[in-house]
Amino acid sequence: MSYLNNPAVVMDNGTGLTKLGFAGNDSPSWIFPTAIATSQSSNTKKASSSSSSSAAALGPSNTGTSANSSATPYFGNSTSATSFNNLNKNMLLSNNLAGKRGTEDLDFYIGNEALVASQGPSYSLSYPIRHGQVENWDHMERFWENSIFKYLRTEPEDHFFLLTEPPLNPPENREQIAEIFFESFNCAGLYIAVQAVLALAASWTSSKVTDRSLTGTVIDSGDGVTHVIPVAEGYVIGSAIKNIPIAGRDITLFIQSLLRERGEVDTSLKTAERIKQEYCYVCPDIVKEFNKFDRDGSKFAQFIVENQEQTRKKVVDVGYERFLAPEIFFNPEIASSDFLTPLPTVVDHTIQACPIDVRKGLYNNIVLSGGSTMFKDFGRRLQRDLKSIVSNRIAQSERLSGTKSTGVDVQVISHRKQRNAVWFGGSLLAQTAEFKSYCHTKKDYEEYGPEIVRNFSLFNMV
Amino acid sequence: MLHLKPHNLLIQKTFSEALEAAAAGAPLTLDRIISDFDYTTFHISNSPEDKALLWLSIRTKAWQSIATCDGNKNGLLPFLESKFTSYPSVSIPSSFESGYDYTLQIDLKSLDAATVLQLSLVKTLIFNYPFHLSFSEFIELSKQQPVTDDFSMSSSQSTSKSLYTIRYRDDENIFIKPSNDRITVIFETIFQDETDKVFGKVFLQEFVDARKRNRSIQSAPQVLFSHEPPLELQQHQQGSTNTDKSRRFITFVLFPRHFQTVELQFSTVCQLTLFRNYFHYHIKCSKAYMHSRMRYRVDSFIKVLNRAKLDEDDEETIDEKNQPHQRRTFTGRKMVY
Repeated sequence: MSYLNNPAVVMDNGTGLTKLGFAGNDSPSWIFPTAIATSQSSNTKKASSSSSSSAAALGPSNTGTSANSSATPYFGNSTSATSFNNLNKNMLLSNNLAGKRGTEDLDFYIGNEALVASQGPSYSLSYPIRHGQVENWDHMERFWENSIFKYLRTEPEDHFFLLTEPPLNPPENREQIAEIFFESFNCAGLYIAVQAVLALAASWTSSKVTDRSLTGTVIDSGDGVTHVIPVAEGYVIGSAIKNIPIAGRDITLFIQSLLRERGEVDTSLKTAERIKQEYCYVCPDIVKEFNKFDRDGSKFAQFIVENQEQTRKKVVDVGYERFLAPEIFFNPEIASSDFLTPLPTVVDHTIQACPIDVRKGLYNNIVLSGGSTMFKDFGRRLQRDLKSIVSNRIAQSERLSGTKSTGVDVQVISHRKQRNAVWFGGSLLAQTAEFKSYCHTKKDYEEYGPEIVRNFSLFNMV
Repeated sequence: MLHLKPHNLLIQKTFSEALEAAAAGAPLTLDRIISDFDYTTFHISNSPEDKALLWLSIRTKAWQSIATCDGNKNGLLPFLESKFTSYPSVSIPSSFESGYDYTLQIDLKSLDAATVLQLSLVKTLIFNYPFHLSFSEFIELSKQQPVTDDFSMSSSQSTSKSLYTIRYRDDENIFIKPSNDRITVIFETIFQDETDKVFGKVFLQEFVDARKRNRSIQSAPQVLFSHEPPLELQQHQQGSTNTDKSRRFITFVLFPRHFQTVELQFSTVCQLTLFRNYFHYHIKCSKAYMHSRMRYRVDSFIKVLNRAKLDEDDEETIDEKNQPHQRRTFTGRKMVY
């Protein structure tokens, strides 16, 4: 069994971005949008009939083993975004070989190439994952097919796979995944992990973590939504999960509105996003920070917009939004009027909704994950605010009961792998020697059927 | 994506990124594992001494059999070296990284896009070696005994005694046999999965038949498919231990027109070495396609079933006694008689 030496494949398919890579690496090999551009059947017919007249189209079939004999002889069917003119040739080739039916089902692009392709007339773009869950299995199956064979270049029969799923994913979806991976791809083994648990595992790299437990609260903030997920000994406490409708996109929009109010020269979404990524940080106190800005001019920054033509240099001033933008997590009223609960309060409510015996562990290990938690001092501010909420409650209960509390330790852990924490946690777990014994293998699947993936044994790592 | 490409996209991307970062003045710290088909693993890392030097190491299952296929002439390493001599940024370190079969050292300062492309082809280059040997042997053989048009003299065929074997997977091998008028490439393959076996049979039959049916691909190499080891192999495999029933043999017969020029040779090798992956990729694609047809069909059945449902609103009529006709349970469900 030589596949024992092959690295496991870790795939994290999120709503917005897909992270693909091999276990043991410190970062995903590929990060691209979970998008697929499929050809529209009416257009493909037109394209193939128009190409049949061109003599070059006959080239590939003439030489047999050598594909397109033009300038790039051995990159036959280029699927790169830049050479779309090859497409017609391929269609003709496929029609010749197959005779009866074309190969339209192979005519699609995923990831960044899909975004490029969808700008043309003959492809339509779709996102197979909505709200973390797979909506369109046809598209997802082809998305996986292309990511395995084209981007990762692996024979799925030789590799173990670790996939992720959102919390509260119905078990039927797991079964669907298993059916696709075992029946279509014949993968050697499969493990489906909950994203929050992997984010906890990723935090083990932080120096603050002393015991490698799978108990903690995960704050996962991506582009669309922020989740607060309590995990006790590797199991998600589903009833206590809370969502906050404030995430990366809202911060970007807030920056954009501030720029517009001030009448800056460039107020595009892209500029706002760059400012968010490069200049924003979390401050301990807004009033003091305003004063600091007024006294010290060096706090203001300037952002130079690079445009494609480089005809005119645009300079955008960056001011209070540096600290105001991430502040909407802590004081949501400055940006929206629909949702007014600050993040620390939501975290506190979440933990209070959990069984009493795990609460200490949940307060003690609050783990950040996702791109929108990357602001400087985000963790420190959260820890301070949460600590004051908790100590107020303790003081009150001490006053009422008259007994002395042993105290609750609040600790927010931020670490360097925060951005792709889920993928990194997966990579960490999948590179261990025991990983393969936790997977369900193809043989197990054939013996028991798809319901086998309803349960996975947890990693109990020390 | 109809074809698989011979170069590794991920190696290309990693080096392009490293190049960009080095040009921007912040060289990356790299320690990446990259995988390829057929138990091949690459490792890209910084050289221990200098951050601007990168190491690309490869380990592949086929290495052992390729390195020894020339009968202890040790020609593989010089062959690979010759493929990189025209790229000044690539050098070969004196010792290879431990645990890997081959290592290249890349200087980021003089790296360019063409070199990156060549680096991403390194696996194909290794697989190229036995083909390269058989091409040159073919030339020798054809000089010794030129091919005549006289078909009656069947004895004029002389075959090489050597048979190049690439053991690239556990039970699957590639055999290359040069002779004076052709080169025969035989794939021995085994299917792990029963479903794959059926799909595979359909595909292979199509490979064999397509040439007969389609006039425009008459010049393509002939493809044969059998359960028995072909005659070319039988003399080499006397008393072979592996007599598994599920073994299949796929034979490609290459004629001189398929490897006349260097470019043609390389593209032939690329396509042949990727044949097994291409084949399995398409089996998987067809299964995915069938799954999507099944989902479509189930959806349409469900639509038909839904049509058979009774219209619920019509029954809410009130009869003479001013009582609702429909009787309901306590929880609001309708009673069915």
